[in-house]
Amino acid sequence: MRTGISYIILFNRGLKKACAVFFVLFLFNAQFSQAQTSSEYQVKAVFLYNFTRFVDWPATSFESGNSPFIIGILGNDPFGTYIDETVNGENAAGHPILIRRYKTVKDIDHCHILFINSTDAELIKPMLAELKEKKVLTVSDANSFASLGGIIGFYMENNKIRMQINAGAAKAASLNISSKLLGVAKIL
Amino acid sequence: MKLTDAPIQRKLMSVIILSCAVVVLLMSAAFILFEYYSFKKSLEGQISTLAETIAYNSSAAIIFDSPQEANDILNALSAEKRIVAASLYDAEGKLFAKYPIDLPNISLPVKPGVKGFRFIAGHLEVFRPVVQKDATVGTLYIKSNMEAMYIQLKKYMMLAAWLFCCSLFVAYLLSRSLTKTISQPILALEQTAKMISDKRDYSVRAVKFGKDEVGALTDAFNNMLTRIEVQNAEITSFNIKLEQKVRERTNELESANIYLKQQNDFVETILDSSAHIIAVLDKDLRFNSLNRKGEELYHTKKEKVIGKSYLDVFPESINSPAHLDIQRALRGEYVHNTVSRSAVIDGYFENYFIPLKLGEEVYGVLILSHDITDIMEANEKLKELNNELEKSNRDLEQFAFIASHDLQEPLRKIHIFNDMLAENFHDEQNMRKYQAKIDQSARRMQDLIMDVLNFSRISKSEEAFTQNDLNLIIENLKNDFELLITEKDATISYEPLPVIPGIALQLSQLFSNLISNSLKYNDKKPAINIATHFLTREETKANKKLNPAIRYVQIIFSDNGIGFETKYSEQIFTIFQRLHGKQAYSGTGIGLALCRKIVENHQGIITAEGQVGVGATFTIILPMGNL
Repeated sequence: MRTGISYIILFNRGLKKACAVFFVLFLFNAQFSQAQTSSEYQVKAVFLYNFTRFVDWPATSFESGNSPFIIGILGNDPFGTYIDETVNGENAAGHPILIRRYKTVKDIDHCHILFINSTDAELIKPMLAELKEKKVLTVSDANSFASLGGIIGFYMENNKIRMQINAGAAKAASLNISSKLLGVAKIL
Repeated sequence: MKLTDAPIQRKLMSVIILSCAVVVLLMSAAFILFEYYSFKKSLEGQISTLAETIAYNSSAAIIFDSPQEANDILNALSAEKRIVAASLYDAEGKLFAKYPIDLPNISLPVKPGVKGFRFIAGHLEVFRPVVQKDATVGTLYIKSNMEAMYIQLKKYMMLAAWLFCCSLFVAYLLSRSLTKTISQPILALEQTAKMISDKRDYSVRAVKFGKDEVGALTDAFNNMLTRIEVQNAEITSFNIKLEQKVRERTNELESANIYLKQQNDFVETILDSSAHIIAVLDKDLRFNSLNRKGEELYHTKKEKVIGKSYLDVFPESINSPAHLDIQRALRGEYVHNTVSRSAVIDGYFENYFIPLKLGEEVYGVLILSHDITDIMEANEKLKELNNELEKSNRDLEQFAFIASHDLQEPLRKIHIFNDMLAENFHDEQNMRKYQAKIDQSARRMQDLIMDVLNFSRISKSEEAFTQNDLNLIIENLKNDFELLITEKDATISYEPLPVIPGIALQLSQLFSNLISNSLKYNDKKPAINIATHFLTREETKANKKLNPAIRYVQIIFSDNGIGFETKYSEQIFTIFQRLHGKQAYSGTGIGLALCRKIVENHQGIITAEGQVGVGATFTIILPMGNL
């Protein structure tokens, strides 16, 4: 599944590049990523990237036409370099995708997707409150993350990663989530 | 029936109905083809739209790995009955979802195919990429059956068949009434033409129906009929005149023929009355004519030889003088042959071979033959008589010789001895001697005169022939010569001899002379042998002096006497011809001449052969009578 998703990312590139990237991925996966990043987080990294295709951010969230699209990771990074490799050279609607890592909510000035690596609801709630005005697609592994006010929460079902989406929170963050994404997720 | 032989109306109807059928067929085919293609296009459009929607909706299901959701999306196709199968493949080409959900995997493509439509086995298949924001994330496959299209097409075909039948029926009805306006005038014209040709009535006219081409044809036809009618009248009157003329000419010819026949008969009468053979041969030697005399002499009939080759009718005449003369005449030469023996019949002819010419070219030969057999026979007889006369002349001369010499000699002796007798009057001894000499000479003279008498008697003999047994004659002669035979110790041997016709006395004299000669002219013991041999027909033919119609016997008389030289073999038969002096052998010189005379008297031949000191052989051939 991991390599399959990698291919989805790389599908519209030239065959040359695909081969090169595959080779690079193969090396890194074998030597670092696989050792450091679990397959679960590899899938989740790709999911994060794919959210850029099914969610529309308001134009005001970008400073200019070519300003970067930022995927942020709050707290400990479970993805390692894998996520950097996944988005390397990619863009979302013309905006080059960048990965930022934050220690605290305070560090966040501006980002479009934020993965909150925390399972503690008591910690998450204030973070979400802090981010309310920022038009950020919040994502987390935490239980009932959507119920807590987050937008997309991962959970496992039949050994598969599934999603729960809080449509209200999304609307509040001025994000337009594609009905197709909603179709494959549980709606709160 | 071939279309070319069919009536015009049927031809027209066939053309109309056929054209109509072709037009309807072509239109139906075009319509059905058009329907087929537009239906296909429309199906493509519909399926394309459907595929677009499904592909659009299924991208998230593929990306976020939700086969459940993908199956749900595909299941929306159940609203469209034409779709029999559908499937989604992920970016790797692995089967991700399918419709209907219970469809076994093997009835779906294992891998996504090339993007686009294709019609396979009555189905429309389409592969379409699933794209999310410019990225291809998977492939959609949809398979639709086209049964509806086939049902529709079948309906169209049924309709076309109906349309075809109806239009043919309508075309038939219409053409039946419409073609009448074209065919009726033609049929009427044909009817008229047929009537005219059947009844030969050129006064009939065709009815004109309209001013079209057929109308013009009718006018032309009628004009032609008028002209034919006029010409017919002319021809009829011309015919009558011609017949008149032919009659006249026939009469003229008939009278000319009668005249010619008379002429011909006249010429034939002249030819047949001729005492000569008259014949005409053409270039190839075929008989053109032969007159009555010819028929008579050749024992044939004119009808048998006319037209046949001279050489076929008379094969014995090939290369005969007449044949050669005919060939000369055919080369243009006038041939007159005064005497020629016919190769065909027993007779002589004087022949004329006259070339018959047409301009310079010889086309035949006229043969005139004058039968001169009688003249020739008379000539022959005359010649024979002449010969006989000559012979008797010679005999007379010989007589004169005898008179002057042989008969004179004893006379002279008598004269001399008489003189000597007169001188020696006293000497009795000498007188007796001279008297004996005179007596001897007188006796010799008597012998000579007897022989001459015998000889002349034989030549005048007219005695009748009787059958004579030669054996008997020889036996009698042996008795007559008994003394001499004993004295000379001679032998006469002979095999059984035949009985032959002749004069007994002459035959006896013939053999008497021969035996006498053999006994006389011999120094040793005379041995005489007489053998006979009947001549065969071939031997008879080989001797030209013999008549082939008569049987001959050959008698060979041989001795061991003094013989003679071969050069005298003819001379010894001459009268008074003696080869030896009187001193050596006594004789008158008449014997062999007499023999020849006797043999010739019997129509026979006698010849002699000799060898000095060895002997002589006389061969006598005598007739035995007719074969």
